Amino acid sequence: MQVLVLATLDGIAYGALVFLVAVGLTLVFGVMRILNVAHGSFYALGAYAAASIGGALASAGLSPWLAYPMFIVAAVLVGVVVGGLMERFLLQRIYGHEETLQLLVTFAVFMILDNAQRLIWGVQPYFYSEPLRLLGNVKIAGITYTAYQTLFLPLVALAVLFGLRWFLRYTLAGSVIVAVTEDREAATAVGINARRVFFLTFVIGVTLASLGGALASPTTSVLPGMGAEMIVLSFAVAATAGLGQIEGAAVAALMIGLGRSMAVFFAPELEVVMPYIIMVLVLLIRPEGLFGKSTARKI
Amino acid sequence: MLALKNLQVSIASIPILRGVNLTVGEGETVAFVGRNGAGKTTTLRAVMGLLASTGDIELDGQNIQKVPPHMRPGLGIGYAPEDRRLFSAFTVEENILLPARVAKLSAGETKRRLGRVYTILPELKEMGPRPAGSVSGGQGKMVALGRALMIGTKLILLDEPFQGLAPVLANRYAEALRALRDHDRSLSVVITESNPGLLKSFAERTVTIERGEIQEMPPVEAETA
Repeated sequence: MQVLVLATLDGIAYGALVFLVAVGLTLVFGVMRILNVAHGSFYALGAYAAASIGGALASAGLSPWLAYPMFIVAAVLVGVVVGGLMERFLLQRIYGHEETLQLLVTFAVFMILDNAQRLIWGVQPYFYSEPLRLLGNVKIAGITYTAYQTLFLPLVALAVLFGLRWFLRYTLAGSVIVAVTEDREAATAVGINARRVFFLTFVIGVTLASLGGALASPTTSVLPGMGAEMIVLSFAVAATAGLGQIEGAAVAALMIGLGRSMAVFFAPELEVVMPYIIMVLVLLIRPEGLFGKSTARKI
Repeated sequence: MLALKNLQVSIASIPILRGVNLTVGEGETVAFVGRNGAGKTTTLRAVMGLLASTGDIELDGQNIQKVPPHMRPGLGIGYAPEDRRLFSAFTVEENILLPARVAKLSAGETKRRLGRVYTILPELKEMGPRPAGSVSGGQGKMVALGRALMIGTKLILLDEPFQGLAPVLANRYAEALRALRDHDRSLSVVITESNPGLLKSFAERTVTIERGEIQEMPPVEAETA
């Protein structure tokens, strides 16, 4: 029983992190119709940036509590600077081109950013677990677990889910994103600058991936290659949910987080493949994903 | 008001519009007729900048070819596409208000324009809270007209508004267009239609397009309602 509780807590915490990354990916795809392979790199960049800032805070003798606002600062910095530059100078040139070209270009960016991380931070893992310690532990059904993973990460994921939904529903910037997602041409015909919407969406998507990385950094060692693992997992979540589905991404991330965690405890040999088993099972039953809408094929 | 001079559009190297010349005066309602594939929709989309074109598109004497597509509605051009193109994620009223929100109109101006829309199309007020995805095809055409009216203060482009409408709704739509003309005599309107007979009661002039070229441009006919 205790193992089951432990696996559940583990799965929820992991699902929360995967959701943050996958929701950015699915938002970008929903609006821009681009499958961004480089998305995992932003997760890694967020993690490295947070770990570096945390290390700098410790060296400067500043309060470790500053790490929390710094997570957000790091995520926004990566989103605006790296994401903004990539959208402005790279993606804008390939909108409307074949998906193959888009995949190749974003894969090239992934390779460049992956190598850039090795050049900047080296190949040794980084550890910065102070935020984990600050929040202490909680006891649930006899299991002692960190409050950071049990409460903080799921709460942040929920805040992002509801915040994003509120933003898209009740703000003008959100409304124009929804309009462009649904019909870019009709949106243009009512005066919406789709290019600007693409930029905003991409920056938001990258910021979310980076926030996921920043929040993951206290729970894991930050090392090269972590972006590759996360992008594959995020694709699995996005495909399971139905591409472009925000609430679906939350459900799918939870399913995959729990599935992976259960596998770790009960069938370790299935740990790596469990997310894809879930994805395949869902897609076999609902090819458009859990929340995806089937569309008639135009001939 | 609107002048198209030698307007040309090619899609995949195939010429669709072959030097269209057309003028629409201030307050004039022009029926733009032609068979399917003649180039009516292409002409309207080119005016909106939704298709790349060459030649001149002048609005009030100013060539707007270099004005980006998303800025053209801000010049006072409203466009109601043939297939409505409503945003199903929004309510009917949110669809109608969206151009005003995007243009950042003042609350007073938005209210004034919304009032005009509801005067001409009172049924939209009742439909306001309904999800746009739940309205019928005919009602959707009304909503698309209302949305175009929110931003179209100088020129309204209506693409095949009667296509697929049941006779009752077609009559209601025609009534709304007559009300629009009576309400705002300075507003120019271009209506495309495959069946010219439908537009006789309110179009002041009929222009025919065939294979991407204007075939005839008869003088103003005395067939206004």
